[in-house]
Amino acid sequence: MQFAIISPDTRALAGLQTRVVAALILRETRATFGTSHIGYLWAIITPVASIALLAAVFSVAGRHPPFGSSLSLFFATGIIVLQLVTRLGNSLMTAIEANRALLSYPPIKRIDVLLARSILIVLTFLLIAAIIYGALIALGLADLPARPEHLLAAYAAASLLGIGIGMINALLLTLWDSWRRIEAIITKPLFFISGVFYVPDYMPPQFIEWLRWNPVLHAIEWTRQGYYANYDSMVLDKAYLLSIATILIFIGLAGERLSRRSDRS
Amino acid sequence: MIELQSVSKTYRLKGIRKQVFDDFTFTFPPNKNVAVLGPNGAGKSTLMRLISGAEAPDRGRIIRCAKLSWPLGFSGGFNGSMTGIENIRFVSRIYGADSDQVIDFVADFAELGKSLHLPIKTYSTGMRARLAFGISLAIDFDYYLVDEVIGVGDASFRRKSQNALREKLPHSRLIMVSHSMGHVRELCDCGLLLGPNGIWFFDDVEMLIHAYTSLPG
Repeated sequence: MQFAIISPDTRALAGLQTRVVAALILRETRATFGTSHIGYLWAIITPVASIALLAAVFSVAGRHPPFGSSLSLFFATGIIVLQLVTRLGNSLMTAIEANRALLSYPPIKRIDVLLARSILIVLTFLLIAAIIYGALIALGLADLPARPEHLLAAYAAASLLGIGIGMINALLLTLWDSWRRIEAIITKPLFFISGVFYVPDYMPPQFIEWLRWNPVLHAIEWTRQGYYANYDSMVLDKAYLLSIATILIFIGLAGERLSRRSDRS
Repeated sequence: MIELQSVSKTYRLKGIRKQVFDDFTFTFPPNKNVAVLGPNGAGKSTLMRLISGAEAPDRGRIIRCAKLSWPLGFSGGFNGSMTGIENIRFVSRIYGADSDQVIDFVADFAELGKSLHLPIKTYSTGMRARLAFGISLAIDFDYYLVDEVIGVGDASFRRKSQNALREKLPHSRLIMVSHSMGHVRELCDCGLLLGPNGIWFFDDVEMLIHAYTSLPG
């Protein structure tokens, strides 16, 4: 077996990459969650607290759920997707910088670091989503999802979108260090323009015209269409969401390829 | 086999451009230990980073059909909050080596005792270097890259690590940057001189050393 970085043997290369990414995922898990189980707990607490807070504010204000009969379920479908996308976007941005020292090990490439973090975050949020939906169902606050396969497809699309955004962020950060501040400013309004706490279709048409440009909104709409039996979104455009995600990933990969040569660590 | 084909590398930092390699083609002779000599800033470390793949050339290709180490004694890739054992496991996984065997070897070689179970950030510089050195020797590489560091730690450990490296030599090759002519004479069969008048290959170590020591300045 060849261990070289450049080797004619594709199978050996695939084996090498799998091994490296697996090792990085284990390492990231350890670094993200720490030694104690508190780390895992926090990963669950953040979205749960956001959902609970939003539900509490709406109940105190005496508002009905924007859709369906459960405030918590409606917000959960929005917040899990939003936090998945923003976490991917933010965490991939700093992945290369945080693991720069590792790049001195010849087998580890920047793309491995991004891939490992993506996989870890996507799996973590899948677990978080299962726990939150499971708890809501157990507490009688939600029914079973009407179309689980759509729920999963929406989750996959949201993951791709987040990975695309994260790769672009990582690229921009290597070119321009102030990007981290700008990213923080840009992502703030996402909570308001992604339909987390309202149904986009019920908004005035002139708002919808603007909102439909936001790909995160489409990921949330798709999720709700998968969960609720009778949520028929007029805004939802799956092709738009998938195209944006694909284009971002493509630009991210191309940028990584082009900026590789001028990299100076 | 390690082969460099028309490799060019230029650094640009704060508007200052420095061309380190321009259309450099070289095939490392098989089964020889190669010294890399030259004054500071001549590009020795850059050459090592290019060979190891830690950095990519601007133009040209580098072909490696061998298992290469990272620079010997390099401990920068360790994660401070992970224990010695966890860091060993990580490196073993990357290189597809058996973690338990590597751990056994390092535990025996690096003499770190119970510290292996503590986070790396509690280690002294010498302890880190011992760990890194131990891991490099525990994994069998075809080529060991040595960037000036040939032994680490106190005098007795330095001897031990140098001896351990010598024991590797029947099976593994060295590519070594050094300023110590004693080491070059002892360990290398031939060498590259990165001088002000270009890059020269010497088949003979004595001629290499002579050329290096008679460089102006």
